[in-house]
Amino acid sequence: MFKKTLTTLSVVLALGAHANAQDYPVDTVTLITHSSPGGGSDVFLREMSGYLAPILGVNVVVENVRGGSGAKAMADLAKAKPDGSRFYATTPTFIYTSLLSETEYTYKDLEPLVNFFIDPEVIYTAAGSEYETLDDVIAAARESRGRWGAANPASLERQALEQLKAATGVEAAVVTHEGGGDLMINVLNGTLQIGVGEVQELQSQLEAGEIRLLATFSGERLDNYPDLPTVEELGYEVVVRKFRGLAAPKGTPDAVIAAWETAAQAVLANEDYKAKYLANNLRPEFIAHDDYVEFINTFASETEAFLKQSGVIQ
Amino acid sequence: MIINRDMVGGISAVLIGILYLYFATQIRASALDDSFGPGGMPRAYGILMVLLGLIITVGGLIKAIREKSSTSTRKEWAGQGNRVLWAAGLLAIGVVYLLIVPVAGYAIAIGLLLAATGIYQGSGLTWKIGLVALGGAAALWAIFVLLLGVSMPPGVFHLF
Amino acid sequence: METILLSFEALANPAIFVAAMMGVTWGILGGAMPGISPSITMALLLPFTYAMEPTSAIVLLASTYVGAEYGGSIPAILIRTPGTNAAAATVIDGYEMNRQGKAGLALGISLYSGVLGSLFGLTMLVLLSKPLASVALAFTPPAYFALGILGLSVIATLSGDNLFKGLVAALLGLMIATIGTDPVTGGNRFTFGSSDLLSGIKPVMIMVGLFAMSELLMQAADRSPSKQVKSSPRITFPDLKLAKRLLKPQAIGASIGTFEGVMPGAGGTIASFMSYNEARRWSRHKDEFGKGSPEGIAAPETANNAVAETALVPLLSFGIPGSNSTAILLGGFLIHGIVPGPMLFQRSGEVVYGLYGGLLVAAISLLFIGMLMLPVCIWLVNRPRPYLSAFIFALIMSGIFSINNSLFDLSIMMAAGVVGFFMRMLKFPFLPAVLGLVLGYLVESNFRRSLVLSGDDYSIFLSDKVSLGLLVLAAVFILGSIGKRLLDFLRKPSLSGTKGDMA
Repeated sequence: MFKKTLTTLSVVLALGAHANAQDYPVDTVTLITHSSPGGGSDVFLREMSGYLAPILGVNVVVENVRGGSGAKAMADLAKAKPDGSRFYATTPTFIYTSLLSETEYTYKDLEPLVNFFIDPEVIYTAAGSEYETLDDVIAAARESRGRWGAANPASLERQALEQLKAATGVEAAVVTHEGGGDLMINVLNGTLQIGVGEVQELQSQLEAGEIRLLATFSGERLDNYPDLPTVEELGYEVVVRKFRGLAAPKGTPDAVIAAWETAAQAVLANEDYKAKYLANNLRPEFIAHDDYVEFINTFASETEAFLKQSGVIQ
Repeated sequence: MIINRDMVGGISAVLIGILYLYFATQIRASALDDSFGPGGMPRAYGILMVLLGLIITVGGLIKAIREKSSTSTRKEWAGQGNRVLWAAGLLAIGVVYLLIVPVAGYAIAIGLLLAATGIYQGSGLTWKIGLVALGGAAALWAIFVLLLGVSMPPGVFHLF
Repeated sequence: METILLSFEALANPAIFVAAMMGVTWGILGGAMPGISPSITMALLLPFTYAMEPTSAIVLLASTYVGAEYGGSIPAILIRTPGTNAAAATVIDGYEMNRQGKAGLALGISLYSGVLGSLFGLTMLVLLSKPLASVALAFTPPAYFALGILGLSVIATLSGDNLFKGLVAALLGLMIATIGTDPVTGGNRFTFGSSDLLSGIKPVMIMVGLFAMSELLMQAADRSPSKQVKSSPRITFPDLKLAKRLLKPQAIGASIGTFEGVMPGAGGTIASFMSYNEARRWSRHKDEFGKGSPEGIAAPETANNAVAETALVPLLSFGIPGSNSTAILLGGFLIHGIVPGPMLFQRSGEVVYGLYGGLLVAAISLLFIGMLMLPVCIWLVNRPRPYLSAFIFALIMSGIFSINNSLFDLSIMMAAGVVGFFMRMLKFPFLPAVLGLVLGYLVESNFRRSLVLSGDDYSIFLSDKVSLGLLVLAAVFILGSIGKRLLDFLRKPSLSGTKGDMA
């Protein structure tokens, strides 16, 4: 129901846009997202654009290119001029769409630029449930078939749970939903034993004490929840890295890439912005261009291997 | 023996059902599937469609046999051919719009669509339809492009 | 009690007044444009809310939603095209009244029913948020499946005199709903390698095609200019006698709307179809339905405006948006750093009270703004046929394009128009197709989700109490209507009559 397709254009005018405009080849940079206005990536981009603009010395505009779970946005960017004026805000979705749907343009037609954040994915349960730890959940699934939930059908969350299932060797139904809200209701009313989601989506329920975190899929423990164990520490080799970065059209000049590497680090270090994103449980993880290309390729080939192994694609 | 609307409708439903079923069987299975699978519902819909189409066809047949003296095929379909042709003409105006809008741009193309539809529907070739097309195009452009901010095809002339 | 006082206190802020009235005006305009859904109307405002003070921003967006849900009924009545999905049920009797020259009364009824629905929904939202939120939690996947089946049972009413033709139309809608991404595996179905089809076909494209486009094709086909009935461009409200008669359908609409609004994913379209169906079932003037019954406008229009209010329950209580429109509203909250959910009242109580106050202003100003705008709309549809047809064609070609900025969508809409043209010629009803299209995804995804949960044990649909109750209700409705048709058939043995087709 939330797979809306709509394209709106909106402009976030930057203050002090002309500070050092001569350094960057264009006056206006457009960041496109496949997310709907008000959706996760959209809010993230719009917030960041306000801080990015003065650093790059340009206007930063956010445009929603919706449709086909990123297929339209990939086609849009693949055909865009590589002059530093247009970028695509990427999340794992664009890899999944490339692999699952035979789209005209795929992630291979784009140049990964830099990475900004890695969102921590956590396992949670209703506060009133009998499960205190992840091991309780696994033990319960050993006795009778588990009931686990992921937000979307073909997603990183689903992959994480399927991998956890394989690592533990238990039987569990992995029920998919139409987004995190849908999933949350079924965890709260006890239909599901656990759900997987991003910490910032769960914030309000966490503060109200309606849900309990059991483990995080991140590589290290989270700063805001130092007592929360990682899934890996608990003995199951599953690590999930939900990245948030930018992709550029192929053939983007080195000068533009270098400008973004500097700007990305500067924006992550900005004190005001830092206060905001840390409060929202976003984990900054700058990855420079060369490493990011490598990162995306590894991510894609791991995902492809998973999808092939489970028979979703050939 | 006459062919009535129910029979045509029923047979169309059967054909649509068969075509849909054919594509439904092409849906690939995977290990992430539930037991019902992505093809489960489509197969059920397709089979139901074929069955219902058959029922309607048979119903039409029974009716045709009962009423064979009172109506004839010619009477049932009198004038329908011309009606389809006139409707096709309006559809053609829409298709032409689709073809020219990327080149001519929204403002010009929508004006032409207004004029062509008006004349086709019998306004007559007068100065009034010209004015209506011009004013209508301006009004629609103002609503969709200015007010709602929709990026309509600008066309090659870049008028605005 | 305290909530009510604090909400009235918020009205001291003139900015809230202005935001509510602007939102309603904008919403009516957007809702009245075929193709521009309430969520798009709201999304277009989103960029402007960045600079606004949080309470005004939220009130602006929520009032837009209220206005848009009402606005959808204007083209439904005047040009047989629902402006929003939820106005599809209003087409049946609204357009019929218009054809009888009673457009002013039809619009008056839909306007004041909309206002009543908003006020009722708002009262429920303010007073019963907590208990209503627990209703949302009681709905598990099998319960949603059962709700979808209950919605589909309305097909029997919408089918006109040949139930089989209605079922074929419904299946056509269900088939279109399977195009796109599979709800369980995420694979593609019926997309034929086209990325335009990946995210499915929006119901609005099919609806505008089936109703408006096919109507244009029909007019082109009937060369002899059919008599155009002109309505007086004055909005008339019903007299006391009629108003009394409308109370029952409005009560039905208000209760169904309140209930459906609370459940994420159910939405206004099901609510308006179900209340149309119930209003007909309990009416003393059953025969008038489908032939211009004022009750047939009052029920769905009360329902979809009640939905616009109670849809805020899951958003405010859990932070969960139940529809595209409330997802945009969630965005509006997040932009200002406010996180809806269980902590909302403690953290940002003043925003919530401001929102309640603003919604009250919105509901009341709907009446006055509607009265100002409607005469213009009636004047427009009283223009000579050729100009009117041309304008409607241009309007839908522009509106459908705006959904995705896609010419492909326009060809889908025109194709639906051709299908609609032949459905009319062969006397197939459309409304079951609309219902199938809107409910297809809900029914299929929750059916399969339930089976994944239970490990393919079909008893899950009976062991879940809510699901069992709804399924029994649906069974009673379906068996009842089949029984009635069978009786009619035995009394008067003709397979299908030659009476006018519905919608």
